Parts: sequence; structure tokens; C-alpha cells
Amino acid sequence: MDSSKIVEMIIAEIRETVPELADEPITGADSMAELGVDSIERSEVILATMGKLGVKIPMVQLHGPKNIGELADLILDKSAG
Amino acid sequence: MAIAVTGIGVACGLGYGKTAFRKGLLDAPNLFSVLKREGREAADGEIPFIGVELLDLPETLPPRLARTASFPARVALTVLEEAWSDAGLDGIDPDRIGLVVGGTNLMAREQALAARSYADRLAYVPPRHGHMFLDTDIGGLCASRFPIRGFCQTVGAASASGSVAIIEAMSAIRSGRVDVCIALGALQDLSAHDLHAMRSLGAMGSARFSEEPGRACRPMDADHDGFIYGEASAALVLTRSEWAGAGKIYGTLLGAGHVADGTRGPEPNSAGQVRAAELALREAGLAAADIDYVNGHATSTSAGDIAELETWRALDLAHARINATKSIFGHGLSAAGAIETTAVLIQMQAGHLHPTRNLDNPLDAGLNWVGPGAGAVLHDIRHALKFSFGFGGIDTALVIAAPDIERRAE
Repeated sequence: MDSSKIVEMIIAEIRETVPELADEPITGADSMAELGVDSIERSEVILATMGKLGVKIPMVQLHGPKNIGELADLILDKSAG
Repeated sequence: MAIAVTGIGVACGLGYGKTAFRKGLLDAPNLFSVLKREGREAADGEIPFIGVELLDLPETLPPRLARTASFPARVALTVLEEAWSDAGLDGIDPDRIGLVVGGTNLMAREQALAARSYADRLAYVPPRHGHMFLDTDIGGLCASRFPIRGFCQTVGAASASGSVAIIEAMSAIRSGRVDVCIALGALQDLSAHDLHAMRSLGAMGSARFSEEPGRACRPMDADHDGFIYGEASAALVLTRSEWAGAGKIYGTLLGAGHVADGTRGPEPNSAGQVRAAELALREAGLAAADIDYVNGHATSTSAGDIAELETWRALDLAHARINATKSIFGHGLSAAGAIETTAVLIQMQAGHLHPTRNLDNPLDAGLNWVGPGAGAVLHDIRHALKFSFGFGGIDTALVIAAPDIERRAE
């Protein structure tokens, strides 16, 4: 598993959770908040991604990333540990 | 203080909206079949559950919101939207509009599906599940889409919830808390667990007619063997009669009775039912002799039907025309009182009473039934008496007057 794969998974979950973003271009450089994904939706996206990866990381450890790419790196880092 | 009904929204197996409801009520087609919605499968080797389910919901919510709303909440918005525009509530001061939602444990089916889906992976439960299965999410969603700012309240009274919502809405108007109050009987989304438990309890049928679903729901008939579930929801817009001005109305709520009879479980109690009716009649300033139409709770359960017949005899209602609305689209449970009060009002408007399906051998042939045979019958309702009862010893009755001809809603 590499970070870019996780970015793709996160983007797929964003499109599922916020259907109006289905056809919008989204990259690892975008931040969910700036895309208009609200806080409950952000939690849903992260939990669904972790569910698909089969990893369990406490949500409190996932605060801080500024964009989807950084979030993916952090998930990869925490799940490796 | 008389309370007028100025708007109606409705959904049941007959379809969405008043036009489908009115036509279906009077035509009384068979709607009953094996329940097919996911999460209503009977256990292996058990008789499938029978009932009535809604047709596909017309989607009015943006997809982003729709996926966060439970099925009962989405149906509630649909009936609210119809009632709201029917009553012309745009422009009313939002602070003077209230909403009472009737029903509890409404999202049981979707909650059971979610619990099953996440049983082995609790860590991934969507945070949304922390609020979307609360009964109060319906009022919250409604007020987020419509300018209702007086108050939102959810009331629980089992199968009398819809009627209790109406009674609480009447009370909110009478107290001066709001000028307009919407009573919404929410859809009770039963899970297989609920269905099985209610069948085991002896409350729900139908073992007897498992091969013939169309014959299963037979209120007040000698071959009844339990209530048959039907998905339903209805919203009624209430306001003070004088506040409605010269506008069109569906009918007037003249009196209400709502008592506790001291029963804990599902057993009916005729003495409590009689008391509720007497309170409603007294408030309306009428006697039983003034009632020309009775819409029973009439669930099709053995004990329930027999106790209610005793109530009608005790009140001396043998002269009044009687039918049983559940025979057409089943028992809406939390929604029953609201959608059956809607049936009363629509029959007032139509000048006809709907037939009672499957009433082949009435348990009491001495009453003035609208039977199954002749289709809808002409009858100009003046004063109706509507009963609703709920598990836990809850008995309610409403007295409803027809509007004068020139004030009738089209």
C-alpha cells in the first residue's frame, strides 16, 4: 500500500459522501474542508477509508493534516506502526 | 376552542398525495402482499410477514441530504411539503408555527440493518448514526427545510401516537403558544425483530391467511387473527377556526379525549375507551346521538376488536355508520391516528364512506357497517368520532365536524 492509493480511496469516499462533488476534480492537494465537506462528513470519509483498509486508528490521532495527501500519509504512517 | 384543519399531506400503500388517497380509499383495491423491504425477512422456516409497503418515494431532497436521512424522515418531509403548500403556510411568522411528530422507535428497521452491518466492525460505525436514528431527527430535518421556529416536539403513544400528536397540536394552539401547529404521524419502520415479536405476542396476524394476503387484514370480522402492518405517514395543519378566516378547511376538531386506563401491555380496556369518548363528546358539546359516523381503531386483533365493540355498544353508537380504514392500507402504528383522521376528513370532502374490506361476517351484525360489498356509499358526514388506542393503556377519541359546504376544501 502506498500513499497515492490511499489518496484515491479517500477521494472515492468523498465523492460517495458528498454526491455533488462526484464530477469535480479532486487531488491530494485539496483539503476536505475547503471542498465543503462538513465535519461529520469528514469523519465518515476517514472511517470508511479505514474500514476498507482494515486499519483502526483513533480519530484523535488523525488531526492536523492540511490536505488529502497529508491525511493519506498520516493514515499510512499510523497503520504501519 | 374549535380547531380547523387547513392542510393535509399523506402517504400510504395507496400512493402519495390526497388525490391518490381519496381515489384509493373509495375504490379499496387489495394492497396486501408479503413484505419485501430489506430487513423484514422472516426467520428460516417461518411464515413470511404480510403487509403493505409504500411505492418508491419521490425524491425531493438533494442526494447529499437524502443519504443522511432515515426512511421515516424522508417520508415525513414528503407529507409535510404537501400539507405545507396545501395550507399556504409560506409567509406565516415562523415563530408562530409548531410541529408535533407522533411516534417512537421509528427507525427500527434501518437501525437493525446498521447494527447487523457493523456488528463485527464497530470501530467503523458512521458518526451520523449518532443522530439519524433518533426519533427527534424527523422534527430536526423538517425544521431545517421549512421555517418552523415555534417548537418541535416528538410524542410517543404507541399506536395512538398520531392522534396524540393531533391532541398536543390542538393544545399548543389553544394555549396561545403558536397560531399554526402541524401534527405529523410518522412512519413506523418496523424491523423483522419487531414484526416477529408482535406476531409472537399474538397482536399481529396472519397465520390464517398466509397464502392469501388480500384476506389477512379483516378488522371486526369473525375470521380476524391480528393486525396487519402498513407503512403510512400523514401531516395535518391545524389552526384556530377563526384564524382560518373564510378560507377552505377540511374539517373542525371539536373535542378530544386522551386517558390512561392503567393497562401496561397490549391488552385493550373498554372502560378507558368509553371515558376518552365521553371526554371528547363533552368538550364538543355533543352527545353520542349526534355522531353519524365512527372511524374505529379497529385493528383486526381478537381482543382489540371485541373490546372496541363493547365500547361502541356502551356509548350507544348503533345508529352511526361505521367502517374500518385499516382494512384498506393496514395498520400504520405510529401514523395510524393521523392517517385515519385524514381518512375521516377526505370522506367528509368526498361525501362518501369507504368500504370495509373483508368484513364478511361482522362480529356484531347489529352495527351500521359500511361492508365490503357495495363499494363506497353516499353519506354526508356531519359529526365523526375517531378512536385510536395504544399499547400501554392509552385511549384517545376525537370529535370532528364537517365544514359547511361553502367552506370545504376542494
